[in-house]
Amino acid sequence: MRRNNKKNLAIIQNIVCMLPFLFILAMFIVHLALPDKTFSKEERRYLAQWPVFHIEKVLDGSYANKVKSYFSDQFPFRNFWVHIHKGSNQILLQGEDSNSADVDLAVQGK
Amino acid sequence: MVFSSLFFTFAFLPVTVILYYSLGKHFKNIVLLTASLFFYAWGEPVYVLLLCGSILINYCIGALLGRDDASRRNRKLLLIISLVFNVGCLAYFKYFGLIICTIADIGSWHLNVGIPTLPLGISFYTFQTLSYVIDVYRGKVKQQKSLILFALYSSMFPQVVAGPIVKYADIESQLADRRINFQGFYSGMRRFLCGLAKKVLLANNIGMLWSEVKAMPGTEISVLMAWAGIIAFTLQIYFDFSGYSDMAIGLGKMFGYRFKENFQYPYIAQSISEFWRRWHISFGSWFKEYVYISLGGNRVGTWKLIRNLFIVWFLTGLWHGASWNFVLWGLYFGTLLVIEKLFLQKSMAHWPKAVRHIYLLLFVVIGWVFFEFTNLTDMMSFLQTMFGIGGNALIDNQVIVKLKAYAALYIVCIIAASPWPKKRALLFKRNHGNIYRLAVTVYYCALMFFSTAYMVGSTYNPFIYFRF
Repeated sequence: MRRNNKKNLAIIQNIVCMLPFLFILAMFIVHLALPDKTFSKEERRYLAQWPVFHIEKVLDGSYANKVKSYFSDQFPFRNFWVHIHKGSNQILLQGEDSNSADVDLAVQGK
Repeated sequence: MVFSSLFFTFAFLPVTVILYYSLGKHFKNIVLLTASLFFYAWGEPVYVLLLCGSILINYCIGALLGRDDASRRNRKLLLIISLVFNVGCLAYFKYFGLIICTIADIGSWHLNVGIPTLPLGISFYTFQTLSYVIDVYRGKVKQQKSLILFALYSSMFPQVVAGPIVKYADIESQLADRRINFQGFYSGMRRFLCGLAKKVLLANNIGMLWSEVKAMPGTEISVLMAWAGIIAFTLQIYFDFSGYSDMAIGLGKMFGYRFKENFQYPYIAQSISEFWRRWHISFGSWFKEYVYISLGGNRVGTWKLIRNLFIVWFLTGLWHGASWNFVLWGLYFGTLLVIEKLFLQKSMAHWPKAVRHIYLLLFVVIGWVFFEFTNLTDMMSFLQTMFGIGGNALIDNQVIVKLKAYAALYIVCIIAASPWPKKRALLFKRNHGNIYRLAVTVYYCALMFFSTAYMVGSTYNPFIYFRF
């Protein structure tokens, strides 16, 4: 009995350790499962759709960029995340709110 | 593809992990190689051919070098061919533009030559393959017989775009056979999350302040603002780069690889030479092993030592970017190191700890000015502002507003750049094991949650003039 309990505890601990990865997996599945939206009321714009495959677009790199925008525009619960981002910036930077500088020093120019 | 993108974290990574762990032992390396080539091709659909070409050529050279019947002369010839090819590729793709522009400037000619764009990660994978070829030549390692394993070594996605530079000798035994277990997977995942949070929560946010300062017209920057800005950049570049290394080390661990550490709290160093033993360690040790020691290292007369140091630091600067300001940055550190080695070493031991630390930070922060400004005039005027020579105001309202807004972030960043949190955590672990485990779980979940929010939030892009 005791051994069983210990075993169960170990399993629970392992699952808990894996929570962040399970979260990644869950978001990936939810993303696949949820239908894509076309329009965002909050941002007053049309959202990016999955790009049509063209070999020229793949070669000039624009395909990868379009997939990137598709991914961020259609990310599950996008408005919720945007809200959290704004809220925590309000606390951390006291309303000093512009979009984060999305530059990659590590990758740039190397 | 960069690690801190949604597509990487929420699509590429889970798919790769699932394939990797669901397939048998023999397929794992093939999965990883396919994923790596896809990862590279995603950002560089054409230059992936250059990467493949480089892999094939260096594989063949390695195989020829390792043959028992290869004569000494032939082996030397092979090494030279490999050096010319690898360094030549790097020089052409990275520095051709710089050379052309410099020549054009000197002669004030108008040269119309096609300048190639820089292939992603070429500086990193070139150094990795060079370490392989040189070590096979020196007889330090055996040639890699499997093309798949060699290709995997050269192109492995965790480190192909921004390091760490993994020497072949360090990873040789892990390529074919390594321990893959649950423990490694989740500790790797945690490391990845740490790096991700460093990048998207700290580096990107503190970086906003520096972008603002940099965008201000030179006459409007007060002295304090200049310092606030460059210190923000000092923190940004550390969290950006070390975050990227953490993610790479973590990803490697998730797939069973153990990479060496690349950063050891560089900003707590107390001398320039110590700083460089803590900053971008894999790069420093590469240069030490393959350039500095080949030139004679420490065991030479004073003049030769100075010459060697300057060669190494000239190249170090040049490696960081195809622009003369990087060379200036490298030579700046070369000069400081020569001064330290020749004059200061003995007396520094008697300085109080705090003085040594301030000395190091001051020179490193000034160094980042050389690193950040590609334009010499802007660089000089910024330096003048920092030291109050330009006649700018010492302090103004704007800087007070900014400092108030960023105060919390500065404090978080400074604490996070020191080993203090880790020390405290270990102490806590010893005394309260159970609470510690719970706290750590909550901590990593929070990192995941907020990193996601910041990754999504940074793409928030409301259209203001939308007509219905």
